[in-house]
Amino acid sequence: MGNQEPGPQANRTLSEQDHFEVHDLAPEVFYEQVHSFEFWFQAVQGYLSGKVYGVDPNLSAPSLPDLDRDRLITVLCNYCVGETAALEGASGLIAIAPNRHTKIFLSTQVVDEGRHLEVFLHRLRLLDVADPEGEVERRASRSLLLFKRRLLELVNGKDWEAAIFAQNVILESLEFTVFQSHAREADPVTRDLLLGIVKDERRHIGFGENELGRRLQLAPHIRARLGQVKRELDHLVLDTLEETLLELGADPVEREKLGRAYLEAAARLGLET
Amino acid sequence: MADFLTAYSIQNWLESCPQGYLMGTVYGHRPEDEEPAPLLENEVLREEAIRTTVQLVVGERCALAASSGLINAAPDEASKRFLATQTLDEARHVEIFTQRLLDLGVPKKDLESTIQHFANPNLVKFAEVLLEKVDKKDFVAGVVGQNIVLEGMAFSVFEMLHAVSEPTNPKFARMLSGTIADERRHVGFGENRIGSLIKQYPERKADVEKLQKEMSYWMLATFADAFRNNPARAEFKRIEGELSRAGVHAEWQGVDLLTKDPEEMEQILADTVLKEFKTRLSRIGIEYQTPDRP
Amino acid sequence: MTDPLQQESTTAKDLELESRPRQRFELEDTGFDEVPPRFRKFYRRWRGPGDQLAPNEVICPVCKVVIRSTRELRPGDRVYCMPCMSRLIVVRGEDGRLEARVAY
Repeated sequence: MGNQEPGPQANRTLSEQDHFEVHDLAPEVFYEQVHSFEFWFQAVQGYLSGKVYGVDPNLSAPSLPDLDRDRLITVLCNYCVGETAALEGASGLIAIAPNRHTKIFLSTQVVDEGRHLEVFLHRLRLLDVADPEGEVERRASRSLLLFKRRLLELVNGKDWEAAIFAQNVILESLEFTVFQSHAREADPVTRDLLLGIVKDERRHIGFGENELGRRLQLAPHIRARLGQVKRELDHLVLDTLEETLLELGADPVEREKLGRAYLEAAARLGLET
Repeated sequence: MADFLTAYSIQNWLESCPQGYLMGTVYGHRPEDEEPAPLLENEVLREEAIRTTVQLVVGERCALAASSGLINAAPDEASKRFLATQTLDEARHVEIFTQRLLDLGVPKKDLESTIQHFANPNLVKFAEVLLEKVDKKDFVAGVVGQNIVLEGMAFSVFEMLHAVSEPTNPKFARMLSGTIADERRHVGFGENRIGSLIKQYPERKADVEKLQKEMSYWMLATFADAFRNNPARAEFKRIEGELSRAGVHAEWQGVDLLTKDPEEMEQILADTVLKEFKTRLSRIGIEYQTPDRP
Repeated sequence: MTDPLQQESTTAKDLELESRPRQRFELEDTGFDEVPPRFRKFYRRWRGPGDQLAPNEVICPVCKVVIRSTRELRPGDRVYCMPCMSRLIVVRGEDGRLEARVAY
């Protein structure tokens, strides 16, 4: 558990550091802290230090049977499409972000997304894909490309709420769900890089959900518009999820469970299907 | 192209920046460093430090908007990924210089109004010219404006400020040296990437040259306000005299800045930046255009 | 103003709990590395169905990390999930266990 129940030592005089309780921070201090470059900087040092292209250099990539290798390439190519959409989406959102903290947070997200794209392309090279970018184009899922196009339309239309919803709630929840599932069954190299990415995704989905949650409380009428965006994008996301999980060999029960996990975030915002 | 862009990868950025020269820093400086007491206690100097820092915030906000906007206009994945690191660099600069305003005693609630009050209108104009190109998703003009003109200017301004701060304000000097290290990558990328694009699209030269001339004019106008029309020049003169007598020197471009009049410093800075523009632009096949003098 | 989430969660068990002093906990770093070092001891990874929550712990519904406090948690407490940047309120769930709900 990592906790120590209060024993004799619990009555000792606690130092100031012992008394620090993160949950006592005022909300504005908390948000200022977590949306800063400094926070990002110290957080990623914790889990990216010593990694090369997102992977512990002591791990070596196993050689995979042809069919498994081919399936992994298809999956990684589609991760690249998702990450490119996230990179272009997050960078476009900076221009319309409502304040400095949000702009700075989105800048950290931009570099996270750029890193994800880079490590996936690098993994493709380790799988002997000579032209990863060309391979991505050839294997990209139609549903995901349509999703990307729609996301960028929302960003270019400067629709902050809808774009944040599509990017940081829908797309990030999809990635968060798929990457965690994939990491459980993946080879050690792919697993290591996926687990590092999941750590970044926590920040992104949390930011999106909290930002939208606050806005929905202040202006509940936005909910109807977001519900419409969700209905429009749901089938593209669920199709992509289904295609990816099939490539990963997930069984129907697992596929259904992951579909539900994706829909939970929208439900917390009061956006039911 | 792909080979040179490998050096601008996020992996390289992680190793050199967060895991390199920024390791152990807080808001870009050593945790124990503070703004010097003589600066905080002298109202004229403190206000000048705020004015200067506001210009840095304005410039970095422009760079943040431009680099993030250029990601979607970039023609290849590797450029998008480099610009992602640049976006975060620029956001970091916005954050550390904004933090400096707070350290200089600007109340948090007055931050935006202070920035509005002190922002030099010529610098705002400079930013508008660039952001217009970015809004149009004009990658070639946007990168020349951002990574050669804006970053080239910032590079020299930071170096000059660093030379003056090193003997008097180690905290600010450390913030600047980290920022300069970032700018090196930015100008390097601009030159390398645009060099190949200009070869590919020679018809874009005239447009880019016009942009450089216009941005250079607004830059010189900003310098003129900062030096010639500076309300604190008498106080600066007094302090520079004191420092010189105490044997303190601030060497930059072969001169001791502490012995120079504001007009001379403006001249040195403007000449350095314009000379740099000329050299860089000629390397990438663009003819430098002499701007009007404000 | 009383938080509606807090109102909803108050039970006889909670009223009885309120009369007792809160237990204190000394937190140790469990190797959670996704936040800056000084905040790390306030979080740990959820180890799956076999894992059990201590009285000073609650799961973040957004990112599924275990949030920890130096004191026993009770309905109405505010906690922060730094890994996903969420502000949450502790409530008593239908099954009688403590849960966290996002306070936007």
